[in-house]
Amino acid sequence: MIRIKKYKRVLSTNLLAKKLKEPMPWMIILAEEQQKGYGRKGTGWFSPRGGLYFSIILPKSNIEDLQTLTILAAFIVAKVIKENFDLEPFIKLPNDVWIAGKKIAGVLTENVVGKEVKFSVIGIGLNTNIKKFPQGLEKTATSLKMELGKEVRNEEVLKKILQGLKEQLKIISE
Amino acid sequence: MRFSLKVKNKEYEVELLETGQGEVKITVEGEEFIFNENRTEKKVAVAKTALPKRNFSRKEIKAPITGVISEVFVKQGEFIKEGQKVLSLSSMKMENEIISDFAGKITEVLVKENQKVEGGDILLILK
Repeated sequence: MIRIKKYKRVLSTNLLAKKLKEPMPWMIILAEEQQKGYGRKGTGWFSPRGGLYFSIILPKSNIEDLQTLTILAAFIVAKVIKENFDLEPFIKLPNDVWIAGKKIAGVLTENVVGKEVKFSVIGIGLNTNIKKFPQGLEKTATSLKMELGKEVRNEEVLKKILQGLKEQLKIISE
Repeated sequence: MRFSLKVKNKEYEVELLETGQGEVKITVEGEEFIFNENRTEKKVAVAKTALPKRNFSRKEIKAPITGVISEVFVKQGEFIKEGQKVLSLSSMKMENEIISDFAGKITEVLVKENQKVEGGDILLILK
């Protein structure tokens, strides 16, 4: 069973996940808005209300499997977009999803590692119902709403991504 | 005084005796050696043995995966706690916070920011 913790506004879902006192595998941190959403190397991720921002706490795994999982997550986000909204996304390695030359989603896996992996979280930011991007991003970012001309249901999209991720994990673990 | 002495897994029966003339007689497996301040009755070559050099207090923090050091949070000479974040390693698909499994003093920082490292490379040395 997947447990979802919902928040109206957080600094970052990954940051919050890393600070949890009792992180449970497969717990989801879902936020309506991130004030300091970030991507790889600390680059900012524009995260106003309307977008889908969530982090999944991962079970302890070896670091190579976590790399595979990160690529899989980007693949699943792209698959959900393609199958449900009739769009043509592509994955820009290592972990972004683009549509028509613009970024629509990003995946960031963060690990805390000592001799072994102590904690892992995978954060996904998907521009779903964002109406407009600020100057400087408008030429490089897009959203489902902008591409489709209509809003999508965030909870439905989240459910489909989680389902896809679980199915893919089942396949690789087999 | 009698005792057993174990050298390289072989036991030797040893007897130590003060003779009363400023001399000490040591008997090893029946063979006598007499020592005093100025005189040695029998010179014995003693094999020079040394323990293999091993630094038991040295600890290393290694890269768990190939990547680029994105941030170094500690300096040489700094004391750190167990569980403290010491480095950030950015691999192609993930950001990794490297924490120390030991408390100790950092004796060497072998990497700097933006340096590429291979999995298994030593990043920091502690004692």
